[in-house]
Amino acid sequence: MATTWAQQTLNQLRSTRVWNSIFRRGPARTNRTRSLAIFGNILLHALPAKVREKSLRLRATYYLGSFSFFLFVVLSVTGVLLMFYYHPAVPEAYRDMKDLRFVVSNGVFLRNLHRLAAHVMVVVVFWHMFHVFFRGGYKPPHEFNWVVGVGLLLVTLFLSYTGYLLPWDQLAFWAITVGTNIISYVPVLGRPIRYLLLGGNIISENALLRFYVLHCIILPLAAVMLIAVHFWRVQKDGGITVREDHEQ
Amino acid sequence: MSNKPNYEAGLGSDAKKDPRRIVFITKKTSAKVKGDVGPQVMSYPHVLIREVIAFQALTIVLVLIALLWDAPLEQLANPLLTPNPAKAPWYFLGLQELLHYFPPVVGGVLIPTLVVVALIVIPYFHVNIQGEPFWKSRRRHLLPVVGSVLAALVALLGAYEAWTVLVPTAVIGGAVLGAKFLLPGQGRLAGFLNSRPLPWWVMTWFITVALTLTIVGTFFRGPSWSWVWPWR
Amino acid sequence: MSSSDALSEGLGRQKPDAESNVTRRDFLNEVAAAALGVAGLGATAVTVKYLSPNVLFEPPTQFRAGAPDDFPVNSVTYIRDQQVYIVRMSAGFYAVSAVCTHLGCITQWKPEENQIACPCHGSKFTREGAKVAGPAPRALPHFAVRLAPDGQLLVDKLEIVKETQVLKV
Repeated sequence: MATTWAQQTLNQLRSTRVWNSIFRRGPARTNRTRSLAIFGNILLHALPAKVREKSLRLRATYYLGSFSFFLFVVLSVTGVLLMFYYHPAVPEAYRDMKDLRFVVSNGVFLRNLHRLAAHVMVVVVFWHMFHVFFRGGYKPPHEFNWVVGVGLLLVTLFLSYTGYLLPWDQLAFWAITVGTNIISYVPVLGRPIRYLLLGGNIISENALLRFYVLHCIILPLAAVMLIAVHFWRVQKDGGITVREDHEQ
Repeated sequence: MSNKPNYEAGLGSDAKKDPRRIVFITKKTSAKVKGDVGPQVMSYPHVLIREVIAFQALTIVLVLIALLWDAPLEQLANPLLTPNPAKAPWYFLGLQELLHYFPPVVGGVLIPTLVVVALIVIPYFHVNIQGEPFWKSRRRHLLPVVGSVLAALVALLGAYEAWTVLVPTAVIGGAVLGAKFLLPGQGRLAGFLNSRPLPWWVMTWFITVALTLTIVGTFFRGPSWSWVWPWR
Repeated sequence: MSSSDALSEGLGRQKPDAESNVTRRDFLNEVAAAALGVAGLGATAVTVKYLSPNVLFEPPTQFRAGAPDDFPVNSVTYIRDQQVYIVRMSAGFYAVSAVCTHLGCITQWKPEENQIACPCHGSKFTREGAKVAGPAPRALPHFAVRLAPDGQLLVDKLEIVKETQVLKV
């Protein structure tokens, strides 16, 4: 036969009832089934079934938007794994950081990966914003998507900031002290916002727990919703903006 | 916006019946960016394979660095002992540097809020869809306006002794003014600068100032926020 | 990666090259899939190893129960922090688990009935741990009792011993 053993096995699998009850479109070898692979899929149907070839080039976008999203995925996976050992309480938080570093198998690697991805994500998100600006991707009809993007930038920064407190070391504690004191300078609402954020007047167990809830539940949910809108709007507004001038 | 009505009035096919029905045909009300559509390809497999490869490349790079470079962990948080200097995360160090010059209400609240509002407003603020260069010939009368705005900005920054902001502003301001006097024939840089629209100049100024502030805040500030040379 | 090399060599050797209709594309696709599989297995192994703790913050399972003379002969003493009965008979010491073998409730020593009774479902045991009544499937296990160098009784809850074994003091 003109097929390898692996392909033969795959073909046999594909003819079973179980397989066909899960994957209904058949192998993606015609344009029809390839379209179905995109808009019949719950995860992929935010993508268009066809894209302009120009938008696939590396230099069109440097894939910065994609990398922002992939970094978010990496952070979510490593973050959830770190949650298995981290108690958001004082003094367990710092003890758990030491635990992760010295005792837990692969703990130091996962924490390194999480922190690295966080810093890289802030850089990539800023870079993505500037690159979209310089190629005019905010011009009509993409205005609202730009605003959603600014929202995502703020969520990213706030996610990074709330995560910064969680190790409960000197670096964390005083960085957050500086930040929350800036917030208190907002006229009228500054002190009440700081009080709500910290769950009190000082940075203590309440602040740690609130930052933990913000970091793990509230902000990731906000990010996921904004990301969904952001992807959807790219598709609905006519696709990725590619610069037309010859310098590209 | 034009003051022509954006609809045409006509009579529907059943206009003779009572009550009269009038048809409104609206012209397109949103401007669409004109770009040629160009050849298209199927997302499956072309988009997906590239995204998968990008994800793999990113993972490999991240994993390699994470295996080699350890995240820091300092001593247990001590509310009674402030380290000197107490620095915010690097992406806020530009802000902290700004706070060194301006009072907290201005540097900590006002300017960041203005920046965020300005970012949000960009697509709604008289968008230069064609990307016309700032110094098109009919705009040369703007030179005194631009010059005095820049001079006022530099003077204000000097009054607050905000050198870290002043220096990049002066550089970019010099480039804006210089671009006016450079003829397009004087090399590629001149041609490039001459063709830049106003939003480009504003954003470049913003990025330059933000980068300078962040770099200074990260590497050039030591105990008590004093100036240090990073190689010492 | 050695395992994907082995897999690809295996695929290549299945047919002689002259007759093979496997295209380069198919071959490379399968090598790539195998590499992804190895990477996935590796990631899973790392994650599973990570999730299994190496150090537990739980109470220690070995403890000192006190000096032998603290326990009168023919007595049953309940050590509450460890859920163990120290039983001293004329023959010697043994340690009986106070955790009911039915569903894990903590039993109680009833001296007036000369029985260990479980409040949850009514299981009853003798002071040697043998089951007398109730739904419990097994007798209460005995833990190893030794004499520590400082003269105290040392009980190890991880070491189960036969019911006939006693520590003679």
